[in-house]
Amino acid sequence: MRIPTAVRPAPAPWQQWWVLSGRVIRPTLRNGELLTPPAASVLFTIGFYIPLKQLMGNFLDGMSNYAQYLLPLIVLQAIAFAAVSASFRSATDAVLGINHRFGSMPIAPLTPLTARLSASVFRCSSALLFAILCGHVIGFRFYNGAEVTTAFWLLALMIGVLLSLLGDLVGSATRNPEATSHLLMLPMLVFGLLSVGVQPVEQFPGWIQPFVRNQPISQFIYALRALAGDSTPAAGAVNWSVIGPALGWLVGTIAIVLPLYAYQSSRRR
Amino acid sequence: MAVAGGGTKAGLLFKGPRAASRESYERSPWRLLVQIRLQTARILRGWSRDVATTIEALIVPIALLFTLDIVLGKAISQVSGESALYGSVPMVAMVGAMSGATVGGIGLMRERTDGLLSRLWVLPVHRASVMFSRIAADAARIFLTTVAILCVGLLLGFRFRQGIMEALIWLCVPVVFGLAFCALINAIALYAAKALVVEATGLLYALLMFFSTGWVPLAQYPSWIQPAVQHQPLTYAVEAMRGLALGGPVLAPMAGLLLWVAAIVAVCAVPLTNGYRRASMRG
Repeated sequence: MRIPTAVRPAPAPWQQWWVLSGRVIRPTLRNGELLTPPAASVLFTIGFYIPLKQLMGNFLDGMSNYAQYLLPLIVLQAIAFAAVSASFRSATDAVLGINHRFGSMPIAPLTPLTARLSASVFRCSSALLFAILCGHVIGFRFYNGAEVTTAFWLLALMIGVLLSLLGDLVGSATRNPEATSHLLMLPMLVFGLLSVGVQPVEQFPGWIQPFVRNQPISQFIYALRALAGDSTPAAGAVNWSVIGPALGWLVGTIAIVLPLYAYQSSRRR
Repeated sequence: MAVAGGGTKAGLLFKGPRAASRESYERSPWRLLVQIRLQTARILRGWSRDVATTIEALIVPIALLFTLDIVLGKAISQVSGESALYGSVPMVAMVGAMSGATVGGIGLMRERTDGLLSRLWVLPVHRASVMFSRIAADAARIFLTTVAILCVGLLLGFRFRQGIMEALIWLCVPVVFGLAFCALINAIALYAAKALVVEATGLLYALLMFFSTGWVPLAQYPSWIQPAVQHQPLTYAVEAMRGLALGGPVLAPMAGLLLWVAAIVAVCAVPLTNGYRRASMRG
């Protein structure tokens, strides 16, 4: 007598990734969600530039104009806004139980996360593109060569990946789609304002200056500002002492978040 | 046997004159009050046990107020001659009210999806109680947020220079506008997709915040945009609250704010009730 056996399916990870990414991206093409990252880019550009131009115009650290000074912060805020929606999606997935379902299917543990991240990167890219376009309108220009400009875009996108990863983790931890997105949005504004993006570190009260100078957003802004360059040398030189800390924050945070994510998803199962 | 007995009992309960009294029970104004109290307590209890909501309604606005004081406080005080807190405390109170409105709106969507709304629709409760209890819960949340932000403001140096009466009215201004904003969000929430509502409302209140006199003084904006800044609801609220706390014109900004509130409520009332009825009768 033969014992009936089933053949274990051998799914293709790439195809799974493609299908799961489509699952996240396709609804956003229909429900208007695709329009929010560009809208956020425009909002942050006018929201920071128009009211603060006069007020902060005197403290530029020697840079040529306020648009050039402000753009890294606008880029970071726009990307963060796009990345925050990752938390909404992962919280929804966690609540609806689709993660349990995926866990019972022959899918690699990180594939659903990767698919959600790809959707977030897609949104971050559009936010980044529109932030640069808006910046161009108010007077921002790239002053360094093609390689350094490419490095600017890559660094900004990597920050987007990092923020999406963080948002995804927070979302699947809180399992509350309602509150999570806003929970992340205002803190982004708080960190953005408490950085060197709006005004130089010397303008802050003395007791908070060490925090302002060393917090990750400020380090990202120093790096992005140097990569974008300026007509004056005040933007900072592109060297490891400027770019290094930003990369350090990126790699370090990802190295902490990934094990946390693994712990989080294994605990739920 | 037991089943049959139960059947008879139910039959006795809902027969003849009892049916008529059940109808009046559902429509009794007194019952409405009792049910509103009950359901308001339900919503508030849910929020207070949810860490994320608590953080969003209390901690985050307070952090924003501290940040604004540190980052823009000095520069604004230099150009305007008075403490920036008289603009930023009201503005942060309003932002807290508005960001909380989204929590409420999406909570409403979730209750529709979970079927709670349709469940309440078939139970002998006053039809208006569900809507009114949401409004009452939102009012309570906004009031608590405003009090918390005020306490932090007092720590930072905010003072009421007028009287007790003015201070009490000051506390009610965010509630009035916050409720109108909640009506708007709930009306949108009953029709649009979830993720879009969260993001669109986030953008909306960020826009109102960046272009209000609580962010920077009016003179800091370019002259072409000043009329828009001057006549938007958040500026009216900030100016009315500035007048109530520091002194200055109150009547004109208050009238502007109430006009905005009336307009928002007038626009949202019909879509809100229709959307609510539709959401309740779904399935």
